[in-house]
Amino acid sequence: MSFLRTAPAFRAGLGMRTIHTSRVAAVQASKQVRAIAADETAGFKYTAENAILKGTVNDAVAVPTPNKAHGSYHWAFERLVSAAIIPATVAAAVASPTAHPIMDGVLGVTILIHSHIGFSACIDDYVDERKFGALGTACRWLLRVGTAGALVGIYEFNTNDIGLTELCEKVWKA
Amino acid sequence: MMRSTSALRALPRTAQLVNTARAFSASASTSFASPSDAPTPAAGSKPPAVKEFKIYRWNPDTPTEKPELKSYKVDLNQCGPMMLDALIKIKNEMDPTLTFRRSCREGICGSCAMNIDGVNTLACLCRIEKDTAKTTKVYPLPHMYVVKDLVPDLTLFYKQYKSIEPYLKNDNPPEREFYQSQEDRKKLDGMYECILCACCSTSCPSYWWNQDQYLGPAVLMQAYRWIADSRDGYTEDRKDRLQNNMSLYRCHTIMNCSRTCPKGLSPGRAIAELKLEMATGVKAKAMNP
Repeated sequence: MSFLRTAPAFRAGLGMRTIHTSRVAAVQASKQVRAIAADETAGFKYTAENAILKGTVNDAVAVPTPNKAHGSYHWAFERLVSAAIIPATVAAAVASPTAHPIMDGVLGVTILIHSHIGFSACIDDYVDERKFGALGTACRWLLRVGTAGALVGIYEFNTNDIGLTELCEKVWKA
Repeated sequence: MMRSTSALRALPRTAQLVNTARAFSASASTSFASPSDAPTPAAGSKPPAVKEFKIYRWNPDTPTEKPELKSYKVDLNQCGPMMLDALIKIKNEMDPTLTFRRSCREGICGSCAMNIDGVNTLACLCRIEKDTAKTTKVYPLPHMYVVKDLVPDLTLFYKQYKSIEPYLKNDNPPEREFYQSQEDRKKLDGMYECILCACCSTSCPSYWWNQDQYLGPAVLMQAYRWIADSRDGYTEDRKDRLQNNMSLYRCHTIMNCSRTCPKGLSPGRAIAELKLEMATGVKAKAMNP
């Protein structure tokens, strides 16, 4: 049997591949033009310190410490606040804004929390400290100062002026 | 076969018999694919439909040279219907240096994932656009490190997959088969079929910007595939691993993942179910009831 399998006549019959025609001069076509070390690219030398991927290829990525406040609680809170804006808007619009400044304030604060969470997510996505360092930290503080300022503004506007809902009603009628 | 039969005459009779038996049982030589110079029958009757393909090229051997789009013209009447056929034809007949991954050519291995005309898909499942007036552009999967030409570096993707421990974990397995109700089994439909081609993850903007921390749709769907499995004993532990603001919650339901999946799965839906289960403890119903 083994004699038959290795017989040249039998091999030639298999697919008739004595002359290979489909590949045109592929010999050494991808040969390196000049030698470059495996750990170098365009003058950049890879070391263990500046490696983009930590550990070997067989190591799994690190799993962060669990913290529900940054995980599922945060997500649920975010959804609840978003959902709460709808009844708060309706309630503030139906009730007399001047007679119920608290209602007006609740609406203002809910929208503020909603936008604060939204902007924090933007910073997480686009200017996180992990990648942008001081710029990220600056953005976080800018957001905190802005939110605090807006909180003071909502209080002032609702107690000493016409309030958020009435402003909207006036703009609507104007 | 002429030469082989003439060679057989010289063999002893027993060997001839054995060989005859083999000739009947083995595949006929004509059924093997073999290169041919003869034009295909269609070539005579149809005028050539030459289409231009622009393919991303970058060679790590010359790292200072910028990546470029290289143009190749292929006669569609001499080529198979799928993008992978065109790529293989180009590599065979025009430019053997063109580099891409391929294996099964039927959408089950996930090797040939690439960006074709702006959509991440498998080249083997993507039909060539017949309109020869339009050029087709082929890029590697977006926002990944490129090894060469159309080959992306998926090391991080696999490291992330490893981090979710994609295997059954149970401290008290039964003595015999691990039974599962039909309803519980149905929960895995739409998730277990994933071939990890990375089309969805690399189509996700959140994964583009934060792939060092965010796990991405493909890995998250597999995380949920094991959380949803009724036989797994580490459901809470698996959920805890996602309790941070980066691993899971950088998903903003952009839904590019579900739109691009070449297998027709919906990672976006799996992630939504996962978020709901993490927040409320409510187990999802079957993905495809």
